[in-house]
Amino acid sequence: MELKDILSQFKDDLKKIDSLDALELMRFKYVGKKSLIAEALEEIAKLSIEEKKALGKKINEAKQEIKEKINELQAGLSGAKSESAQDLFYKTLPGKKPAAGHLHIISQAIEEIVDIFKPLGFTRVRHPEIDWEHFAFEALNIPSTHPARDEWETFFIDALPDKKYGRQVITPHTSNGQVHEMLRGQLPIRMLGISRCGRRQEDINHLQTFFQFEGLAVDKGINITHLKGTLDYFAKNFFGPGRETRLRPYDFRFTEPSFEVDINCGLCLGKGCKFCKEGWVELGGAGMVHPNVLRAGKIDPNIYTGFAFGFGVERTYMMKSGTKIDDIRHLLNNDLRFLEQF
Amino acid sequence: MNILISYSWLKDYVKTSASPEEIARLLSLHAFSVEKIISQGKDDIFEIEITPNRGDALSVLGIARELKAILPMQGKSADWLAKFPAKAAKGEDKYNLAVEIKDKSLVPRFSAVVLDNIKIKPSPETIQRRLEAVGTRALNNVIDITNYLMFDKGQPMHAFDYDKILGAKMIMRESRQGEKLTTLDGVERTLPAGVIVIEDGEGRLIDLCGIMGAKNSEVDENTKRVLLFVQVYDPVRIRKSSMALGHRTEAALRFEKGVDFEGVVPALWEAVSFLQQEAGACVASKLIDIVNVKIEPKKVAVDYGRINQVAGVEIKKEIVDKILQNLGFVFNGTSVIVPSWRQGDIEIAEDLAEEVIRLYGYDNLPNNLLTGEVPRQIVEPIFQTENKARLYLKHQGFFECYTKSAVSQALAGEGAVKIANPLNEDFVYLKTSLIPSLVGVLEKNQGYNEKIKIFELASVYLQKKNDLPEQPLRLSLASRGLDYLEFKGIVEGLMRELGVACDFAIQELGDQVLGVELDFEAIAKGAGQVKAYVPISTFNSIKEDLTLVVPPGVAYEKINQVIANADKRVKKLEFKDIYKNFLTLAIEYHDSAKQVSSEQAQEIRKNIFEQLDKKLGVKLKT
Repeated sequence: MELKDILSQFKDDLKKIDSLDALELMRFKYVGKKSLIAEALEEIAKLSIEEKKALGKKINEAKQEIKEKINELQAGLSGAKSESAQDLFYKTLPGKKPAAGHLHIISQAIEEIVDIFKPLGFTRVRHPEIDWEHFAFEALNIPSTHPARDEWETFFIDALPDKKYGRQVITPHTSNGQVHEMLRGQLPIRMLGISRCGRRQEDINHLQTFFQFEGLAVDKGINITHLKGTLDYFAKNFFGPGRETRLRPYDFRFTEPSFEVDINCGLCLGKGCKFCKEGWVELGGAGMVHPNVLRAGKIDPNIYTGFAFGFGVERTYMMKSGTKIDDIRHLLNNDLRFLEQF
Repeated sequence: MNILISYSWLKDYVKTSASPEEIARLLSLHAFSVEKIISQGKDDIFEIEITPNRGDALSVLGIARELKAILPMQGKSADWLAKFPAKAAKGEDKYNLAVEIKDKSLVPRFSAVVLDNIKIKPSPETIQRRLEAVGTRALNNVIDITNYLMFDKGQPMHAFDYDKILGAKMIMRESRQGEKLTTLDGVERTLPAGVIVIEDGEGRLIDLCGIMGAKNSEVDENTKRVLLFVQVYDPVRIRKSSMALGHRTEAALRFEKGVDFEGVVPALWEAVSFLQQEAGACVASKLIDIVNVKIEPKKVAVDYGRINQVAGVEIKKEIVDKILQNLGFVFNGTSVIVPSWRQGDIEIAEDLAEEVIRLYGYDNLPNNLLTGEVPRQIVEPIFQTENKARLYLKHQGFFECYTKSAVSQALAGEGAVKIANPLNEDFVYLKTSLIPSLVGVLEKNQGYNEKIKIFELASVYLQKKNDLPEQPLRLSLASRGLDYLEFKGIVEGLMRELGVACDFAIQELGDQVLGVELDFEAIAKGAGQVKAYVPISTFNSIKEDLTLVVPPGVAYEKINQVIANADKRVKKLEFKDIYKNFLTLAIEYHDSAKQVSSEQAQEIRKNIFEQLDKKLGVKLKT
């Protein structure tokens, strides 16, 4: 029998094998002492030395291939035999869950925010949550007649006022950190302040305790284009490349010019829908630091300029496409069924 | 505050090709946010948020002035339909009004005129329709015209029934605590001290100035003579009074933001002209115009360099000049004279820069990142330690919680700092510990699982005499259903993870609840130290378990110390198990200089037993 016929017959036979016993018979038939291969080897004894060499090599290679195929199938068949149906089902079960904890969505948001501003050179800091009225308002160019000073929005502490710094407040914004930071006397400044704040408000959009993040940059030659670029970089990284920001004129006492920062609506991407204002939603406030604020921080406004922005951490995170949180109060309810989702 | 402005009304002032949608977009980008466009029949009504510094824009005129400056910059036509101001009307000087102002600072400008021959009837349809479009009910011609002009010009005004001002006398003064007055809406109001009021010749209060008129001097269907009353009040007093009374009227909201000092008399004559046409009014007194505060036109230098510096791009001088002129600034050499309606708002070079750049368009500026010197400040390591601690606990199956900074009286700690003006009783005392709130979270989530592990990393607030409270950061862990040693092991594991050793006290809070509060600032100080390398020994340790019988009154720490000090070759000592008072320890002997032989191990062991027995009465279990 020709070698190539042996091989093709072997392949056909192999397909029919469904048990180890049948496989043993195959082994006898093809590679045993009286096998087809053995016969083929006997045949070549008649040939010349060169022919012997050439054909012998081929036969041995074929023998090797046949042996490997048989061993392979043997492994497959014996495996199937030792693994019971029960074992097979076992492996389909879900793995044992390691203890799964959850970081709060606020921590996750803060981490993301910090990571985005880090490569721009903004250093994370934290300023007091209970602070003097001076840092929360006066130093920010907000005189006592300004609406933000009214008791209606700010929490005051039941304590004697300080002669120089006024009453104690739960800071209603992280902007109290601006002048604290300036007074450290280290220029230039690129600060990312993230702290707790408090306001006398509670509804689906407001919490009495909430977080803000405050960016402050003070250096020579800072202008609006730097603020725009920084906010755009943040928005694209935080919300995704399809999102755009815009600045709208606004009025804050501690910045001049002042802006409100809008981001195009995550639902309609700026076309306009019932969740947004003509395609835009408001992110927070920003502006160029008012010269009086720089002065309060002992910085010469004729040499230095700066920009600042302050956004709510929770609010910003809720505007991310897809979080679907419809009521900010979920965040401090600490219902584990809520927390486990993040 | 938000105002409603009608598109068709705007067209009284500006003729433009811009559609309502375009106007909304351009106002938002260059001046004020248009929150929505309300379609109302043939007209469109804009709801616009006016920032507190821009009292001048709380009117159709104010918005029209902005459009006049905005539209041409954006390639839209905007022709100003200049209306000539109404002329001073002449009349007889038949009626008098004696005016006494107790304090000049109450009313920087006081103007009034008596009108006779008034016929009260409904006002013309245009006026009624426009008032209703901006949400005000039409009443009669006199009242409607005063309201109409407030919306049109931003100048609130009031009409008294002249005959109800007894003694034809007005005394303007601050109220005394507890005085009473019934306003036009029929509500009797008890006044705090310091509210601006007018008393008539018979000592009756006839006006809650700048907020709302009084019932006893109102114009009604029988009114024959009217005192038309147009003022500029002290904004601070109006704001305070209106807030204190909880009565925020359209008039008060405008007065408290400051009205145009120069607009007072023109607005008065405009009203007179309307009333002549619509109510048959005749002027029947001299114009009373009392100027109590001298206001000089304000000059601000135009600093082109500064404007470009703030913008970060060059805005050509011609464009700067054109923008400022369109906004009503008048050039005077290198300075501009601020228009009277912007007196309170424009002070410094940055203010002019804002005007120019917002009209130039923030969207026309490029986006750049900061360049320049590397900031010197480096991040405080505590933040890294926080993240490490959080992640460790998360992977131990903990849920991170955030609770509010303050709690109710029931949960308040001793000496807790109190909020002077709480919003509700759940948020009154600042937390002195995180534990009570976390225990609350465990209670609330009882059904969630048999074992619950939670933590919070936050400040507490500790009273300090004559200073801000201390606000140290604490890390608190709490659990339900955890074995004591399991809980303790997690805290110890956390310390190991952070590379610190800190004392801590686990609190047993009843019903399988455990808690611990850690001084996180102390932890962070100790954490994150660079770990030094100890060469790895080529010799093996000898490891064995020892079971000891512990008599009452001995703490584990003592046993640990005695064993560790018994021989310097004791390399590791770990608690393995406890059954009754049989304590099993896993122990390792090691010598970095040579292999510890079994004879030497025996020797060490013997030494340990001797020491334990002698010092603590602890014996080997036999």
